[in-house]
Amino acid sequence: MVTISPNNIHHLKSSMKLTSVVPATVTGGKVHELTNMDLAMKLHYIKGVYFFNGDAVEGLTMYDLKKPMFQLLQLYFPAAGRIRRSETGRPFITCNDGGVRIVEARCDETVDEWLAMAVEDDSAFDGLVYNQALGDPDLGFSPLIFLQFTWFKCGGMSVGFSWAHVLGDAFSASTFINLGGKIMAGPVPHKSMHIPDSAKSELPLSVLPKLKPNSLRRVDSVGDLWLTPNNCKMKTHTFHVPADKINHLLSDQRSKVSAFEVISALIWKFMSKIKKNPEETRMVTLCTNKSHKREFEFPSNGMVWSTVEATFWVAEAEVLELVELILNKKIDENGLITKRMGNNYSEELSSDFITYGSNLTFVNLEDAQIYGPELKGKMLVYANYTISGVHDKGVVLVLPRPNYGKKGDGVNVDRTVTVVLPENELTQLKVELIRNWSIT
Amino acid sequence: MPPILPDFSNSVKLKYVKLGYQYLVNHFLTLALVPIMAGIFLEVLRIGPEELLNLWTSLHLDLVQILCSSFLIIFIATVYFMSKPRTIYLVDYACYKPPVTCRVPFSTFMEHSRLILSNNPKSVEFQMRILERSGLGEETCLPPAIHYIPPQPTMEAARGEAELVIFSAMDSLFEKTGLKPKDIDILIVNCSLFSPTPSLSAMVINKYKLRSNIRSFNLSGMGCSAGLISIDLARDLLQVHPNSNAVVVSTEIITPNYYQGKERAMLLPNCLFRMGGAAILLSNRRSERRRAKYRLVHVVRTHKGADDKAFRCVFEEEDREGKVGISLQKDLMAIAGEALKSNITTIGPLVLPASEQLLFLLTLIGRKIVNPKWKPYIPDFKQAFEHFCIHAGGRAVIDELQKNLQLSAEHCEASRMTLHRFGNTSSSSLWYELGYIEAKGRMRKGDRVWQIAFGSGFKCNSAVWKCNRTIKTAANDDGPWADCIERYPVHIPEVVKL
Repeated sequence: MVTISPNNIHHLKSSMKLTSVVPATVTGGKVHELTNMDLAMKLHYIKGVYFFNGDAVEGLTMYDLKKPMFQLLQLYFPAAGRIRRSETGRPFITCNDGGVRIVEARCDETVDEWLAMAVEDDSAFDGLVYNQALGDPDLGFSPLIFLQFTWFKCGGMSVGFSWAHVLGDAFSASTFINLGGKIMAGPVPHKSMHIPDSAKSELPLSVLPKLKPNSLRRVDSVGDLWLTPNNCKMKTHTFHVPADKINHLLSDQRSKVSAFEVISALIWKFMSKIKKNPEETRMVTLCTNKSHKREFEFPSNGMVWSTVEATFWVAEAEVLELVELILNKKIDENGLITKRMGNNYSEELSSDFITYGSNLTFVNLEDAQIYGPELKGKMLVYANYTISGVHDKGVVLVLPRPNYGKKGDGVNVDRTVTVVLPENELTQLKVELIRNWSIT
Repeated sequence: MPPILPDFSNSVKLKYVKLGYQYLVNHFLTLALVPIMAGIFLEVLRIGPEELLNLWTSLHLDLVQILCSSFLIIFIATVYFMSKPRTIYLVDYACYKPPVTCRVPFSTFMEHSRLILSNNPKSVEFQMRILERSGLGEETCLPPAIHYIPPQPTMEAARGEAELVIFSAMDSLFEKTGLKPKDIDILIVNCSLFSPTPSLSAMVINKYKLRSNIRSFNLSGMGCSAGLISIDLARDLLQVHPNSNAVVVSTEIITPNYYQGKERAMLLPNCLFRMGGAAILLSNRRSERRRAKYRLVHVVRTHKGADDKAFRCVFEEEDREGKVGISLQKDLMAIAGEALKSNITTIGPLVLPASEQLLFLLTLIGRKIVNPKWKPYIPDFKQAFEHFCIHAGGRAVIDELQKNLQLSAEHCEASRMTLHRFGNTSSSSLWYELGYIEAKGRMRKGDRVWQIAFGSGFKCNSAVWKCNRTIKTAANDDGPWADCIERYPVHIPEVVKL
């Protein structure tokens, strides 16, 4: 079996060529204001990767792949902007057409070989997604999005993107990529984008109670290099959860429960068993989506952040009890986060904050259309998302698998679960999942 | 410099005096002829028809004498018409419009610069300051190879750019004029800095399967004024070969010439030069008389290469690290001014109306004889031309010429807007400027156009065209300005804050 060696990655990296794509028309001096929710996410990055087989990309040149980006950025011009700071130090995006960075790379393995490597070790994805934080080297000259096109030996291709979370959440990122795929298939009528309601209606700050949000943790100011300071090395791993395993647990439940709640409850329980101190897993953060169409909206951070606190010992609890907690007892913290961030820039010494990993965070991406992009009418082979810049407590993302025409209620589509945890905890989690659930 | 007359220029009376003077001198012959004709007519009326008939019969002309006289007249007329130089018509021209995928906004250019020259922040600063004051806009284009960080100027990429630009311009020209490739008798391609083997003209002949007895020429190394040199060459060839079509292709291929070092004098062209090209159809066929857009009136070429400083002021050389770039000396503007003066001295007598020439002559005599302290008279070229196309070499060049020739902002508008929209496209910029004037609907029949170009060497070349028919801006026009002309003219600030 082919294993990841530093050589594979090194070879890939030495073949990289960088360019930029810009909006097709001049944007002018527009400014995209960043909301308080956006700024709460500034140290995090969404990374995604899509794999296509040889027949989907046959005959496509880099020019064919870059061309639709110009119209896409004309519509989504904030994505092509750069971060600047106002006099108070508050960051905003100046829509100066700086563009999106495109990376072209070649790889000596086939798509199947690479996916097989990734099953063992998720760091395979590192080579396929260009890793550069905002502020490295200059904050004002760092692209918000990096797109890497990697060509494999078999003729297949992967599209890897790195998306600064300050620009928008995973649903915005997914919509952006899907629209790019649509434009490639044929020109899209030019609709002007509008600012989503979630970005507009931030509650007046004085109305809210004076509580601190639990899903937000303060860290020392990072200045102009937007990277999360981490105490331990975080690793990523992806599990494939088949539908029947989930259905097995839901056999006598109301249909209001989705796979997300079940998977979250399970992993919460296992993590509590793994951690020595029960206090550490008493509270978890949930990140879910308000269902609304994102298609012709500017990117935004519109997901709902809430916390759930268990009053009992999680490791000994029943899974269904935890599912009940997650469904019914979560506390919406968006208002609190907004207020806390709003106060930040009026204080003397502003600090920085992290959200993902301040507690064990579960992100519901079940409705994200990550299998949306099609090339020449052919679907993706595989798609996966992860978050980088996650703090010590870790993140669990629940993603869909392709729905190959299955119908019906309940949960009958498999799920992909990507976890980002400290190395030793991840190993233990893997053991737990195999032992209790035979999930790999 | 102010005119020799005392400075009442604000006075309305003086304006009318000037107008009266110009009218008198320019139409002197007509004005002199009218009284003579009137006198003869009155005399004829006075004498009466019978007297005239008597006068005629008294001459005793017989058939032989009449025949000889008429033959003499016919002979003189034939010699005159045979020795007259052929009229050269500019049937039409097409400018290349780069695709939107080649667009380079300021922010992208600066960002790439910072990454490529990451060890030389001073050079990056310099480039930024140049770009801010350059007069370029956010829609100028660079070829695909230069978009890479760092740029990848392979020969293949350079050929690719040449094919893209030249073939697009040629296709557009064929469509506009209905010209068949087999009808091209003369082909001249000029591209200063890229000269592969086989030549670019051979590349065009290969692509369009031109005739085997075509007269093809490839001019390289002649700088930004090479476009007018090619027109001059085409004109000379069309004098020799009757009933012929000549296609001139002017372009500059950016890919192989992007300077990758850090010397400041050599970084300037990177900031200004952009993708562009033009294809022009010239003809001496009488059948083109109706549909041709312009007639070529004069081409004047001035070369200051004999002067060492002029020769070295734009010089391609290696920097200390061995990287090749074009180095521009600080005295470039002064040398350009000198070259312009030389060119004007030659072209002045050919185009200026009699009134201006007389004034100039009088001032010259006055300075020599009466008082050397009199300021030399700068003839008013606005009376000789309706439109000016100044090579968009850079903001400084246009400013300098505007000052020297005392042109108004509207006269320089075509040049400034071309610099803003397309950047410095070298030899083809004159054609984009002409396209701008046409797109604005300002070109009327009889209008005279003056194209001025500067180039390395140091050269100053001029061409004078006369508009043959009023050019209407059609709704389905597909020139390079078609989709953006409504936005122009734009105000270009002194310094654009990046």
